[in-house]
Amino acid sequence: MVKELTIEILALVDPVVDKLKRHQLSGDKTIALEISQLLMRVISAARWNSPFELIQIIRQVGKTLNTAQPKEIITGNIVRRVLAIIRDEVEEEDQDKDQTMMNSIFSLLSTQKPDKKIYQQSKKQSSDFRSIIIQGIRDLVDEITNVNEGLENMAVDLIHDNEILLTPTPNSDTVLKFLLKARSKRKFTVLVTENYPNGIEQAHKFVKTLADHKIETVLIPDTTVFAVMSRVGKVIIGSNAVFANGGCLSNSGVSSVVECAKENKTPVFAVAGLFKLSPLYPFNRDDLIEVGDSGKILNYSDFKLVDNVDLVSNPLNDYIPPEHIDIYITNIGGFAPSFIYRIVLDNYKPEDTHLD
Amino acid sequence: MSEKPVEGKPVESKSTDSSVKPDAKDKTPSKSVETSEEKKLSNKELKELKKKEKAAKRAAQKEANGISPEQQEKLAEQKREKKQQQTTNSNLKKQLIQTVIKDDSKKKVPTLFSHLETREQRNAASPSISHIVHPAILSLALKISSYKIVGSIPRLRSMLEVFKIIIEGYITPSNTTLQRHLTGHLSHQIEYLKSARPLSVSMGNAIRWLKQEISHISLDLSDIEAKQILCEKIDDFIREKIDLSDRVIIETASKHINNGSTILTFGHSQVLENLFKYCALEQDKHFNLIIVDSRPLFEGKTLFNNLIETETSPNVDDLASETSSVSSRGPKSKPITQDHIKIHYVLINSLSSTILEDVDCVFLGAHAMLSNGRLYSRVGTGLIAMMCHARNIPVLTCCESVKFSDKVQLDSVTNNELADPEDLVSNINSKQPPKKKAFALEQFIKQIEHEKKNEEKSPKGKNNVNNKNKSKKDEDDKDKAPLSNWKDIPNLNILNIMYDLTPPEYIKKVITELGGLPPSSVPVILREYRST
Repeated sequence: MVKELTIEILALVDPVVDKLKRHQLSGDKTIALEISQLLMRVISAARWNSPFELIQIIRQVGKTLNTAQPKEIITGNIVRRVLAIIRDEVEEEDQDKDQTMMNSIFSLLSTQKPDKKIYQQSKKQSSDFRSIIIQGIRDLVDEITNVNEGLENMAVDLIHDNEILLTPTPNSDTVLKFLLKARSKRKFTVLVTENYPNGIEQAHKFVKTLADHKIETVLIPDTTVFAVMSRVGKVIIGSNAVFANGGCLSNSGVSSVVECAKENKTPVFAVAGLFKLSPLYPFNRDDLIEVGDSGKILNYSDFKLVDNVDLVSNPLNDYIPPEHIDIYITNIGGFAPSFIYRIVLDNYKPEDTHLD
Repeated sequence: MSEKPVEGKPVESKSTDSSVKPDAKDKTPSKSVETSEEKKLSNKELKELKKKEKAAKRAAQKEANGISPEQQEKLAEQKREKKQQQTTNSNLKKQLIQTVIKDDSKKKVPTLFSHLETREQRNAASPSISHIVHPAILSLALKISSYKIVGSIPRLRSMLEVFKIIIEGYITPSNTTLQRHLTGHLSHQIEYLKSARPLSVSMGNAIRWLKQEISHISLDLSDIEAKQILCEKIDDFIREKIDLSDRVIIETASKHINNGSTILTFGHSQVLENLFKYCALEQDKHFNLIIVDSRPLFEGKTLFNNLIETETSPNVDDLASETSSVSSRGPKSKPITQDHIKIHYVLINSLSSTILEDVDCVFLGAHAMLSNGRLYSRVGTGLIAMMCHARNIPVLTCCESVKFSDKVQLDSVTNNELADPEDLVSNINSKQPPKKKAFALEQFIKQIEHEKKNEEKSPKGKNNVNNKNKSKKDEDDKDKAPLSNWKDIPNLNILNIMYDLTPPEYIKKVITELGGLPPSSVPVILREYRST
């Protein structure tokens, strides 16, 4: 059943696989856009007789991308979104065809094993189908590029005047846009953690941008979070991926910040574009967390220390359990973590949760 | 009969009046208002009269001793001079405030923390009083301000050592006694020392103790004897309150470290360092140690380095066998980190990933234990205690009783120490503690740079092309270090505080030389300690 990808498609996929492996794509949004562009090209290059063959091809591409960078959730999300678009289209065609004879109970019994012959598409049909799918992906790309617009509109509702906010994720572009938008209506102070060692340069740039936009900004070391938390009104975090259970992945160190916020009963809200929602469940924490360069913690030139240390670790991410987050703010509105699974169901098909 | 002499001597008459009054009151309550008024008057008069009487008595005494009234006046003048000398301490403070160098860079402290004293404010006055400061204090202040000596106990120890030097070299001025003058002399030194960093709680306690000891020295002793006694007392203090206390603490705490257990610690604490060494060297325990470290001081690295430097001394039996088999090789001594302590070094951001591994207990150092049971320690301690508490990992803290303070504090914002924010901006990737220059030197360099800039500016204004190039260069610079000129950005602040406060509910046990206690027992110990 699993077909190997044809050479033409491999030629399209391989450069992206390399980029993923080398971590040359930085930023979740860039990855999302790159993957959807790739899938668009794959769909226009691929040959298929039935939509199911196309689905197989896309799944195969998804698997290849996943093995290239198993800890990158976004690639899988986009592949699954595209698969959902295709399946939706198939269903629609399905309904058009046998509207007359099928009632719902009968369809329940009979569509378990769809007769593939029905879906043998003629050439004209398949080119129509292709253009519809590509249009669907274009819409997805639009959604990803304009993700901040939907988010920003909620900013004013969530921040009051003279509030003190704290953000432990200065590398998040979404958080930055969110705060800048909020500044147009409200005056507030933002505490920004350094995110040493992985995000310190970004933190400095982030802080500077905020200050240039006349937002009172205070840069604090990661250790100071506990000391200032009692004065903080809200904690705002960016996320790398949101799981179906309502938990999310974020920068390392964020987990302790939100735990501290919980301890002080400070509300925590996470901002995330819709494309970051994933149908996966975080069953094994260790599978999710990527480990980075330990040379950022102990210099390799510091041979005396390196020689005597048993273990140095530099995790890049932290898993944040759903109970530590109060709301998620997405481009389609705010949701409680317990509701995320519904949004996931709206955007993905359960058949595609596992690409293997 | 009794009334007549009373009128003649007004003093006594009033006193008898007042003594009579209560009786009169009891007898005639209707007249109580009148009598009370009388009483008030009489009280005032009484005081004045008593003063006069005393003065008269003194004069009489002095005359009896053979001092003429003129001499008395001279003596009084001398006294006044003395008083002025004594007040130099407060004068000094005034001087300090007046001589604050008006720094052109605005005060950049976040509004929440604007009540705390900045490093600039602390240092502003130091050059103006440095001439009356002992050179040993100057060098100590430099070491403390550059974080060469860091940690409550090392600072306390070095301060007491320096005090010994000062006392040994102290000569009592002619018209006073050691008991009276030495305290003031030390106060000047301490005032200067404060400019390096605010005194730690333990230093404050020790200073209070020392001043008390000075005042307790009997006046009969000669200066040399007194100085000797003081130095011995300081030595005893160091031995008793630091060395022996630490040993008791270590013995108690070592019971919590078993073979094969995993211990987590944060930063560097002298007593904990000794504890780990003791467990490895003397008790021959093998255990895992997770060192959590943080920016900007990287004290965990200090602990790490110190552990590497301690080496196991090879056993005598091993030595014998080794020399017999391989005679050419000398005795091998390995650092304890090779076989006894397995070190896992992480930064505070990876705490939640690290803690999930089975940590058996957490040892925290202390700067002070406050009387409401809160632990005042290096910033970050609270976060670690909270995370461990949430995961049911016991949190222990080792703290000598000199660090106990009768202050109460509820959050880390109200009282704290501001460090130099520049430490967070410069050299963000060095992974080393900031290398600080002396404040005066820094200011000097700044001044020279400023002058240079001014010189550059004057010819530069002539051609615009040059200017444009410059601005381009500036932009390039910005790409390199976005916060290099953070002081010019009005809305930007950088907060670098030194301590935070850990609530008592996170702490399972405080190990002191008096045994293991719950944090709620701190005030009890303080009371006992005070009474002895």
